[in-house]
Amino acid sequence: MIPHLEINHRTVLSAVGTTILFCVAASAVAAPPDHKEQHFAVKGRPTVVLQNIVDGRIEVKSSKNPEVVVISTSSPEKVAIDLEQAGDRIDISATGLVNSMQPHEVEADFILTVPEATELQLKTQTGLIYVEQVNGDMQLESVAGDVNLKEVSGYIIVKTTGGSLKCTQCTGKLDFASIGGGAQVLQSSLMRINLMTATGNLLYDGEFVRTGIYSMKSTKGSVEVRFSPTDSLDVDARSLTGTVDNQASEFLRPDAHGAHHSRNRGNSFFGTVGQGLAKVELSSYSGTIRILKRP
Amino acid sequence: MPCKDFEALLEQDGLDPLPLAARSHLAECSACRNLFADLSVIVSSTREFPAEVDPPERLWVSLRAQMAAEGLIKQSAPASTEKAAWWQALPSLLTPRVLASAGVGLALAFAAFLAVHKNPASVTKTSPPAPAVARVQTPAQPAAAQQPGSPAPLAPAPAPQMVTKRRSTPATSATPNFKPAPSADVYGGMLAGSQDPQNLAGTSVEADASLRQNLRIINEVIAECQSHLKKHPNDALAREYLASAYQQKAQLVAAILDSGRSEQ
Repeated sequence: MIPHLEINHRTVLSAVGTTILFCVAASAVAAPPDHKEQHFAVKGRPTVVLQNIVDGRIEVKSSKNPEVVVISTSSPEKVAIDLEQAGDRIDISATGLVNSMQPHEVEADFILTVPEATELQLKTQTGLIYVEQVNGDMQLESVAGDVNLKEVSGYIIVKTTGGSLKCTQCTGKLDFASIGGGAQVLQSSLMRINLMTATGNLLYDGEFVRTGIYSMKSTKGSVEVRFSPTDSLDVDARSLTGTVDNQASEFLRPDAHGAHHSRNRGNSFFGTVGQGLAKVELSSYSGTIRILKRP
Repeated sequence: MPCKDFEALLEQDGLDPLPLAARSHLAECSACRNLFADLSVIVSSTREFPAEVDPPERLWVSLRAQMAAEGLIKQSAPASTEKAAWWQALPSLLTPRVLASAGVGLALAFAAFLAVHKNPASVTKTSPPAPAVARVQTPAQPAAAQQPGSPAPLAPAPAPQMVTKRRSTPATSATPNFKPAPSADVYGGMLAGSQDPQNLAGTSVEADASLRQNLRIINEVIAECQSHLKKHPNDALAREYLASAYQQKAQLVAAILDSGRSEQ
């Protein structure tokens, strides 16, 4: 019995020792992500420029405090993050230190807290760009990541290669250009929009401001607008090889301005709601253009 | 007419039929005659250029090779022979009992590794935040980041629980006042991935794939527009789309090349 007990005791001790060794080794090899937080005091309307050359998401929200807070989480020893303040301009850049073929190996995520009135220039490769409750001009660029905007205002420029845009409760002006990405503009009150994509689908379901100009163009995707009977707009819809699906013909008078009667065919349509104060231009090469009345 | 006036006339009106004074000067002045002949050759040669020059195939081959060299394109790596030799020598170095212990240890170490990387709170704890950090800590951040004794948040963020909210909120619930049309299904899946933060982080491989895929799309659009314009050369809308597609292609190629340079 005694030798048997001694053997078991040795085995347990050996296992515990090995475990401790492996735990230490595992902790050393798999270091946790770098988590940093920095504060920059600002006086007026700051400009934040973030160039994320590696992958990762960018999240921006606002606060009442006159400061810009940058929280970054990045791959340890694989990403270099530089932050610089010049007056009210904050420059942030994330660059890769290694070339990686593994997914999620070289990336940097950012959470920015900015004053409500802030200008933004954000760029990333993949990963979401999310901006909420920020009032200021912004230019947002992504290759494959989506862009999600909520309650923002200003002159908004969004450029993506394959990423899509969702803009909810936005005001001001919006330019969107993409190849494979689509755009949804919901519950917004924009003075001017210019949405352009090659294969994405476009949707505008918001207010048509009087004297506003709304241009939506998709080469192969669908283009859809939803209007209220109380709106005032001229709709000019043209599809080269696709169709114009007018599901609100009872609310659209054929032509209030007397110049477009001849173009109301299967793939072309001109109509007016109310006095026709806003100008809506819908265009597609081979996609379907859909005009609907909001219930 | 002096030579200076003749040159000014060429700059202003081009090679269009020259006025009588210019023609008489041309007959007398050999220098201006040579200049006029050179310009004529240049203009006629320029007119023979194709409207669009497709980049040669070797450019794409070179680009692909460069991206592969920089690790932007996934390639299978050969197995390390050193590692195999080490593993082969391992059984001779350890007794069966120690190997069994090592197995248990490995399992526990793997569990510890998983625990460290799956629990964000433990990651946050590893970086000691300053008192000012805790002051602006947003609700989206784990409470573990706030040190004991640090002051409470002075001004809560107006958009609380951004991450958590988007995790729990369906994509369609953001538009309660707008009944989706039947066509809304088209958009339903478009941003579905963006609602889950776990699916947001991407890779260079994804960006590369997206660039290449969209380049193919643009090439298809250009080919389609060109085909249509051959049949309907006066179609202004098709020309408009072709011009836009060329512009997008130029931007895309620039983005690809720019990305390659930044990795160097």
